[in-house]
Parts: sequence; C-alpha cells; structure tokens
Amino acid sequence: MHLLVPPFGNFDYNALLPLGIVAVTPLLVLLSDLVMPPGEARRGIAVGVSVAGLLAAAYVLIEQYLSHQFGPAFGFGFVLGGFSIAFSLIIIAAALFSILMVPTERDDEKEGPVCALMLWSTLGAMLMSGAADLMTIFLGLEILSLALYCLCGMIKGASEIRKREAREAALKYLILSSMASGFMLYGMALLFGTSGSVNLAALQAVPATNPLFTMGCGLFMIGVAFKIGLVPFHVWMPDVFEGAPLPATAFMSVVTKAAMLAVFARFLYSVLTPAGHEALIWPVWATAGLSMVVGNLAALSQIDMKRLLAYSGIAQLGYIMAAMAGTSTLGMRYAIFYLGAYLFMNLGAFSVVALVSRDSEEDGHLSAFSGLGTRHPVLAAAMSFFLLSLAGLPPTAGFIGKILILASTVAAGYVWLAGLLILGTAISIYVYVKIIRIMYVHVDLAHIREIKPLSRAPWIGVAVCAIVTFVFGFYPVALHDVLPRIR
Amino acid sequence: MLTALVCGTIFLGLLTFALPKTADVTAKWLGVAVAFAGFVLVMFLNPWSPPPEESTHWLSYPFSANYHLGMNGISYALVQLLTLVTFCALLGTNVPRQRNFVALMLLLEGTMLGLFLARDLLLFALFWDAMLIPVFLLMIAWSVHPSTAWRFLIYNVTGGLLLLLATAAYGWLYGTTDVIDKGVLPPLSDNWAPWIFIAFAIAFLVKTPVWPFHTWMPDTYAELPAPVAAVVGAVQSKAGLYGFITIGLPLFGPQMWRFAPWMIALGFIGLFYGAFIALVDNDSRKVVAYSSLSHLGLILAAIFVNNQYALRGAVLYIVAHGFFTAAMFLIIGYVESREETRMLSRIGGLARGNPVLAGAMAIAALAMLGLPGLAGFTGELFILVGIYQAGFTWLAGIALIGIILASAYMLRVYQGFMHGPEKPDLPQRPDLAPIEVWALVPLFAALLFLGVYPITANYPDQAYSLVSSTSMSLRAPSGSLTHVAMMTGPAVWGPHAKHGGRGAGGEAPSKLEKK
Repeated sequence: MHLLVPPFGNFDYNALLPLGIVAVTPLLVLLSDLVMPPGEARRGIAVGVSVAGLLAAAYVLIEQYLSHQFGPAFGFGFVLGGFSIAFSLIIIAAALFSILMVPTERDDEKEGPVCALMLWSTLGAMLMSGAADLMTIFLGLEILSLALYCLCGMIKGASEIRKREAREAALKYLILSSMASGFMLYGMALLFGTSGSVNLAALQAVPATNPLFTMGCGLFMIGVAFKIGLVPFHVWMPDVFEGAPLPATAFMSVVTKAAMLAVFARFLYSVLTPAGHEALIWPVWATAGLSMVVGNLAALSQIDMKRLLAYSGIAQLGYIMAAMAGTSTLGMRYAIFYLGAYLFMNLGAFSVVALVSRDSEEDGHLSAFSGLGTRHPVLAAAMSFFLLSLAGLPPTAGFIGKILILASTVAAGYVWLAGLLILGTAISIYVYVKIIRIMYVHVDLAHIREIKPLSRAPWIGVAVCAIVTFVFGFYPVALHDVLPRIR
Repeated sequence: MLTALVCGTIFLGLLTFALPKTADVTAKWLGVAVAFAGFVLVMFLNPWSPPPEESTHWLSYPFSANYHLGMNGISYALVQLLTLVTFCALLGTNVPRQRNFVALMLLLEGTMLGLFLARDLLLFALFWDAMLIPVFLLMIAWSVHPSTAWRFLIYNVTGGLLLLLATAAYGWLYGTTDVIDKGVLPPLSDNWAPWIFIAFAIAFLVKTPVWPFHTWMPDTYAELPAPVAAVVGAVQSKAGLYGFITIGLPLFGPQMWRFAPWMIALGFIGLFYGAFIALVDNDSRKVVAYSSLSHLGLILAAIFVNNQYALRGAVLYIVAHGFFTAAMFLIIGYVESREETRMLSRIGGLARGNPVLAGAMAIAALAMLGLPGLAGFTGELFILVGIYQAGFTWLAGIALIGIILASAYMLRVYQGFMHGPEKPDLPQRPDLAPIEVWALVPLFAALLFLGVYPITANYPDQAYSLVSSTSMSLRAPSGSLTHVAMMTGPAVWGPHAKHGGRGAGGEAPSKLEKK
C-alpha cells in the first residue's frame, strides 16, 4: 500500500496552487449565491469573487514564472514550466473577460452557478495546459467539457425559441464532443499499449514503425483536432457557438481551443519528431492550411455574428497551428504570442457583441451593427479595431503576430503554408471589413433601436482588450522558456 | 523632427475625431492648418543636409527591426508632393460630414509620410497596410457606390500581405529588416532572392498599378471623393514606384535587371492600353485614371532601363504626375459638384459661363500632355533621353507615340467639357469660388516651377549611383535631343551639380559596375 502513495513534496503542491485557487473560488461563489437575496449585490459578489480568484491564480502563476520554479510534479502527471504558465495565463484572461459578460440587469438570472461552472471549466483547461500524461490530459478534458455542456444550455429569461436553440447546442456539443473524447480515449489506450505507460515521455521511446503507435497517434490527434475545430473536423463548432449563450460562446472560443492546443503542442513537440514521424505529422500542417482557407471562405457568407466569429476562430487556429510548423522553438513562442493576441482581439469583439446585443435575445445578427458608427462611435471604433486586428492589418497585435508567424513558417521551410496563410488572410479581409462597412455606411437610423446594454461590465473587457491589442501591436511579448519540455 | 512630422499628423488626425460633430468648419480649417504646417516644415528640410535619422530598437527576433525614420532625396521629393497635394485637397474640400473626412485625410497623410520616411522594411510594410485603411473608410462612407471599395481593399491588402511575406522572409534570411537606404547590401542567396523580389514586385505593381494588376484602379479613382482621389491618385499610387527605386535597386539589383525586360514590357503595355482606353472612355475621371496607368507605365519602364537620366526623369515625372493628376481630379470634382455629372457626353460648353474653371482645366490638361515649360515636359524629356541613352532607341520612339496619345485624350476631355455647344439640360452654376482657385494655385505654381527649374531630379539619392550612368554626351551631335537634355540636364544647373548625373557618372563608376 505504501508504494501507491509516492512521497509528494512541497513542490508538487505549489505547482498545483493556482489550480487549487481556481477550484475553491467557485465554492465561495455558490455559497454567496445561496445566502444572499437576489439583486445587485449578489451579482456583484458572484462576479467579484470569481474575478478575484482568477486574478489571484494569475498572480501566483506570474510569480512562478518569474522565480523559475519549473519542473515536473506528481510523478510527471503535471509539468510546471513556461509553457503551462503561458497557456494558463491565456486561459485565465479569457475566463475573466467571459465572466464580465455574464451579469445582466435582470434578477431572474443566476450568475452564481454560471460563474462557478466557468471557473471549474477553467480549472480543467489549466490542468490540460500542464498535463504531461494521458490520464491527466483526459481528466482535465472531462472537467473542462462537463462544465461546458451545462453552460451551453443555461440560458434564463430568454424566449422559448432561444432556449430551445441553447438546449440544441448543448446536446449537440455533448454528443459530438463525447464522440471526439471517444476517439481520443481509444487512441490513448493504444498508445498505452505500445509503451506500457501513460506518460508522454515514455512514448518517445516507442519506434515510429509500430503500427499500434501510428494508429494510436492518429486517433488521438483526430480527437484533438475535433475539439480544436480544425478543418475537416470543424462542422459542429458554428452550430454550438450560435446556440450557446454569449458568455459561454466567448469562453469556448478561446479557453477550449487554448487547452486543446496546449495538449496538441505538447504531443507534437515532445512525442513526435519531424524527421521520425513525417507521415504522422504532415497531415497536421495540412489541416492547418485547410482551416485557414476553409474557415475564412465559410465565414464569408455568415450573417450571424457568433457564427462568423466561430468560423473566424477556425481560421485563426489554423494560423496558430501554422506557426508551429516544423515544431521549431521560435514557432512555439509565436504560436503562444498569436494565441494571446487572438485572445484579446477575439474577446474584445465578443465584448462589443455583448454590449450591442439587445434584450435577452442576444441578437447577434449582423444587422444589429448597422449604423453603429453613428449611434455609438466609440463602440464602433473599438469593434473596427478588433476586426482589423483579426484581419491582420496594422497597427494591431494581429499584424505583428502574422508577420512573426510568416517568419517562423518560412524559416521552418514551409513556404506553401505561408502561401496558404496569405490566401486565407486575403479572403478574411472581406469577412472582417464587411462588418466595419456595415457599421459605417450611412443608414437611416429611424427604424433602428437604441443600444441598451444588458450590463456595463463588458466595457472593461472592451477597454482592456483594445489597449492590449494596440500595445501588443508594437511590443510583441513573446515569452522565453515556453517549449513544452517534459523532462 | 521626422517623428514629429509623422506622428504629429496621425495624432492630430485622431484628435480631429474628438471635435464636436457639428464643428465641420473648424475641422476643415484645422486640417488645412495641419497640412500647411506639414508642408512648411518639409520645405524647411533640405535633401542635401537631411535631418538626423531617428532610430529606436523595436524587435530583436526573429529578425532585428527598428523604428527607423530617415530621408533621402527621393523620399524628400515624395514628401514634398504629398504634403502639398494634401494641403490643396483639404483646401478644396466641400463634402458633408467634414469632421470625419478631415480626420481620415490627416490619417492618410500621416501613414503615407511614414511610408516614405520609413527606413526599415517592417515599418515600411506596416505603413503600407495602414495607409489603405483610411482610403477604404473614406470610400465606404463618402462614395456613391461603396461596393467598389472592396476591390480596392482586397487587391491592395493582398499585395500588402505579399509584401509582408517578403519582408518576413527577407528578415529571416538577412537577420535584419533595417536595410533601406543603407547602400548596396550583400545579396541574398540565389534560391531565395528571385522569389522574394517577385513578392515585393507584385505588391508594388498592384499598388502602382501596372497592367495587368490595374483592374481595381479605374473604379476606385472614379468613386472616391475628389480630394481623396487627388491624394490617392497623385501620391499613394507612387508608393509602388518608390518601392522599386528604394527597395528594389539596392537590395535586389541582379533580380531587377533580370526581370527588367518583363517590367519594361508591362510598362509599355500599360502605356498604350491606358492611352487607348482613355481615348474612348466617357467618364472623365476614368480618363484620368487610365492616363495614370499610361504615365505610370512609362515611369516603370524608365526605372527599369537602367539609366541615370531615365531614373532622374522618373523621379521628376513622379512628382510632376502627382501635381497635375491632383489638379485634374480636383477640377473634375469641381465640375461634378456643379453639374452633378462627370460624363463627357453630358457636359459641354462650360467655358462660356465658367472661364476660370476652363482656364484651370486648360493648365492641368496642358501639364498632363507635356507642354514645355511645365513639369510634365521635363520629366518626359529626361525619361525619353534616358531610354534612348540606355540603347533602347526604338523604345524611345514608341514611347513618344504614347505621349502623343496623351495630347489626344487630354484635349478630348478639355474640349468636351469646355467647348462645343452648351448642353441645354446643364444647370448654370457660378464659376470657381476663390477658395477653390486657391486650392489649385499651389499645384500650378509647383508645375511651372519644376518645369523651368527641375530641381527634384537633382536631389541626391543613393539610387542614382546604382544605375548605369554611361554618358553618350561625347557622341551626341549638337542640337540633338540628347544635347538638349544635357543643356537642361541635372549636371549643368543647380547649386549642387556635383551630385548630378553626368558629373558623378563620369568620374566614379557606380558600385554596380565595379562588381
């Protein structure tokens, strides 16, 4: 019995401290929800406690990064390093902005449970960013997903149609995501069979010619690509994004993708090598290329803002995958930088949508934006800025991020991928600038309703995202020490 | 100094947005004042003792890039052009929602100043993309058919993305992008250099535009509000040619000459293609747009014939073309605002009621067709002499035909608008207001000044040392075309003749020839 409990030390628990904070905060949120009467104060407490918890976790993470307390914890179940910290910070920031979209002015809304579920989902994502064995990956994935299934269906005070849409989205997400988990799990089982260990490091020793290994990798990567939403495994994403409530959509658009990307990157960088596993690894770059082109092409004809951002997210993830082409050190740094940039420009755009969407319908139709340039110049300017950034035009983080990706892709020798990136971006110009046009083309304002935001909290998101997108446009803060090393 | 010029203009442009919505008049005069201040500031600069370069470290990976502004002769010529044209365009502006209009115009000027002063490829690429956004916004908010804005944006951003790709590849291979105006740098490997050059070249060709990348241009120039069309048609279109001279020559010399026959061919196709369409098009703005295609094709060919006279002529003609195109777009804008049409078939006999307008248009048209004494003539002459000197005797002859065609289409527009029978259904509107005349006067003054004293061709620039300067002066018979050029040529006049073509060329062979 004694052998089953290895001597875990201080380091192991310190490594998990940020996760612990994020795990405990929702309990406080739920407790306050239980004891307080509905109203302004309860809303404030729910959001305030969540934000405080996330900020505390972020503080601990930054402290860990600055003091370089890197290393494996819990017998290589969780690896604390620049990689996990960078991804965790991105996940926390995304959760913060999403939580700011949660509160509304209505009293029948239950902010507490929504915030709590989001935090637990964040916990799962953070666990995945540091996971270095198959068990931890799956554990994190399930924590992340289970909370999200509920979040997708939780919509209060909306019309029956809207509620039905949300339920449909939740069910769709549940079924398709479970199927992807099934793929992953089967792949993991085969991989475990080849090495006899759940540890990713042990997989490095498996010969590339082993057919079980090839099959296991293939199934595992299909599952991951499904969850990230890379073409051709992307079809579920726009439907779910459209149906889910806006905060959940915003949350999924970054957190799920970041967490799965962390797993994917760790797998690509530490288990596979470009030389030894060429047949396994080139389809990854091919899907990245496909995502950039198909995602943007599909976004061309969308008239619903959430669907459009879903497709745009598919393409953006393609760019990020392209940065990692050839699994180079620089590529990892730029992928993380672009992911961070994507976080701010994407959630900035979502925050604007949250402010513009009317009543409980969360009207994300593009027509809700017509004439915004006259009705609300500041909001329109902010939205234009985020869209320009998504399109990769200066002076934004998207511009500098794109040139960094181009440089690393070309340096790794994947010129064709850089070419596809150019093609995808050229298509995306229409997608994003179409919205700018809708906002600024002169319209008759008589029949357009005033903007009455459900709450003012997303303004914080808009302001912070705009500032960061601008600053990143000139100072790309690409962290060092972000290689997903296991040992 | 340069940072103040670039950032000040951008900042004041943004500040204009903060004015109250109703402050149209204030906004306009603020814009005019800013543009004028910029022009005065530029006139105080001197290309022979350029202002100190300003450089701040920006990126160190994956390649080193600096925020680096500097000025050489050719950027000085373009900055002069830009500031003067913007000032005139803003002075002649009369559009609704003027506050936003002026703000965007100032942003356009600021980003273009940044482009011409950038000494780092990454900064160049940044301003290259940034200058498209104000034009796009101006187009969707003020033009009658906003849908044409798409073609402009998508064409140009695709070019900009290729530029970005080329910059990234260059930076990765070379280690730094701080390479503009640094003399001739060690060439890249032969595997990469042609491809990177092609990516740069396509971006430049789209922006200029050169046949067959021109399809966005006629609609764009026709749909933009007249003052914006003046700035875009006169200055922004020169960014591509400026790129060939400032980036192509020093960094991609061997590739430039390798692709030169193709480029010269494209230029000449554009020269005739544009001229022939300009001969028949009914839309006067499109006539000017196609004439632009024609003239810029000639300039492109002049850059690629590898001759110093041709290059000096190209720079002079770039500036001259900017002035007369801007004047022409402004004048057509005045006609449009009076007659509510710009179609040649619907307008006639304006000269009787609007003599000042007719006079102004006559000057612009004469400058455009290359009347001696105005800047267009000097530029064309240098270019033709250069092409002839470079050994393309027959090409010089063909180019001459293209220039004759320019007379035909410009006189067609002038005659159609101003003379002939008055159209009965045209409203009788008053002649040009004083402020509209004052918006044109600086442009005409510049045209006249450069026509008799083409100092622009004499601004010192490293680019001139990178092209062949073999002089044929000894063999040229007195009284020939070459001799005339020699008499008016850069080496003869001007206070700094030692920078001039013949002197420098005769004594010190260029770096390119040394190899």
